Amino acid sequence: MSSLSASKAHLTNELAVSIRGVGLTYTTSIDKKPTLKSRAKSLGRGKKQTRVVRALDDVNLDIQYGHVLGIIGTNGAGKSSLMRCVAGILPPSQGRIEVFGSVSTLLALGVGFNPSMSGRDNVFLGGLAAGMSREEIAGNFDEIADFSELGEAIDAPMRTYSSGMYARLAFSVAAVVRPDILIIDEALSTGDAKFKEKSLNRVKELRGDDRALILVSHAMGTLRDTCNDVAWLHKGKLIQRGEPDVVIDAYQEFLHLGKSAAIDEDV
Amino acid sequence: MSTPLQVYEPFKAGLPKLGRYWKSLWSRRTFIKEYSKSELREQHFDSVFGQLWLVLNPLLLSGVYFILIVIIGGATDSQRYAHLTASLFLFYLVANSLTGGVKSITAGQRLILNTAFPRIMLPISALVIAIFKFLPTLIVFVVIKAIVGSPFAVEMLWAIPVLLITIFLALGLAITISCINVYFRDIASFLPYLTRTLLYLSPILYLPSDIKPSLRAIEIFNPLFPILDSWSRAMVQGQAPELSSMLQSLAWATGIFFIGTYFFLSREREFAVRL
Repeated sequence: MSSLSASKAHLTNELAVSIRGVGLTYTTSIDKKPTLKSRAKSLGRGKKQTRVVRALDDVNLDIQYGHVLGIIGTNGAGKSSLMRCVAGILPPSQGRIEVFGSVSTLLALGVGFNPSMSGRDNVFLGGLAAGMSREEIAGNFDEIADFSELGEAIDAPMRTYSSGMYARLAFSVAAVVRPDILIIDEALSTGDAKFKEKSLNRVKELRGDDRALILVSHAMGTLRDTCNDVAWLHKGKLIQRGEPDVVIDAYQEFLHLGKSAAIDEDV
Repeated sequence: MSTPLQVYEPFKAGLPKLGRYWKSLWSRRTFIKEYSKSELREQHFDSVFGQLWLVLNPLLLSGVYFILIVIIGGATDSQRYAHLTASLFLFYLVANSLTGGVKSITAGQRLILNTAFPRIMLPISALVIAIFKFLPTLIVFVVIKAIVGSPFAVEMLWAIPVLLITIFLALGLAITISCINVYFRDIASFLPYLTRTLLYLSPILYLPSDIKPSLRAIEIFNPLFPILDSWSRAMVQGQAPELSSMLQSLAWATGIFFIGTYFFLSREREFAVRL
């Protein structure tokens, strides 16, 4: 489990994450919610309750410090699964992942696990769960609150937040704690135009800081603009990795959409 | 090249490295404290009326059950009321950690899908919350005991090891049920029936000695039976509990804790895909 306090200076091009032959297979229940009742009902009928999902298949990827790696792919390509593996949330079924630094994740769900608690409580609890100390969070809290521009809403229960406010707070937490490796999974897309610009600037700033960033996004324009590298995943396999323009063009060609406005739409 | 800070590899069924797990858990102990505090604050237990409710609620409960005892014709002396309150309050410590624990993992879904941390923190927090709710009732009991004129004796100190065993048992139960609920979400709906049954199978509304010989089995198969027996002896009668009851309680608590924790730890790495 990563500790965010382990941050130290890293050199550009030093290895941040090494992903070697990683595969991820898991069984998931067919029912939305597995219950004893449904299990009892299907007893004796021989009905299968679970299906096997092959989310990742022999993925090899290196991520260096000072680089921004974009991850693209259709829905269900395994992007989020790969990010969860790197963050240590899901152990891989095959292969090995080595992480050379502290990781902060801003996955699709963002911070806040208890909607009836205030934004402030959720920031503290999320940080403590990630292994930060109370003092570290308190030291960063004002900056987080400022960056999120939530004002007094920071002390309101999170269930009263709009999705934009949610995303702003989540981004602020992840960006302010300055981890060695920051993973942002489609979380840049819900803020308003002004906040979007602000967060993109922050991403560029972090890149200049010799941190490693991984952006998962469908916003091709943003990726072309910010990434040094783009990796394209499809059905759990790494299809191509390289120059953003080259990989994104290939991906868009694959989608038979070309450079349509729909897919080039910014964040 | 520097050595990696973290290595993630496939896990075979079994336990994670316990030393590392414990270190990681210990370094996050503030989370457990803060989480319990926020949860209690959210339930308004930081306000005057909230705290009053913490005291009032068990008092009302014990009042209601006392009426029940009077109506069905049990003994209605003051000692009996002291036994009822003492046992009922301890029972609610266990019941509250079960009800708090059952949804601790499924309710922590966002956190689990977003952050790597020892998942066992969540049921532990549920237990800590239950303990915080229990403590004021202890004061209520001491006041009741003084009012009904029940004797205070040195032997009451036996209540401390009994309470520790109860907390150990409650922890094991919270861990076990939180894990079961990931796989069978309707356990949470069955739980009220389960706790209600436990309540009636435990020597709370009656004394352990009231049990008919033909019903002795409930004494053996109910982990709370020897605990509540020992608790009532120490707290109400001011006597040392029977050693066999203490050992039986400890055996139950240890068994449930180790089986539940093994089950939890060997499964927790797949919680993220089960939620």
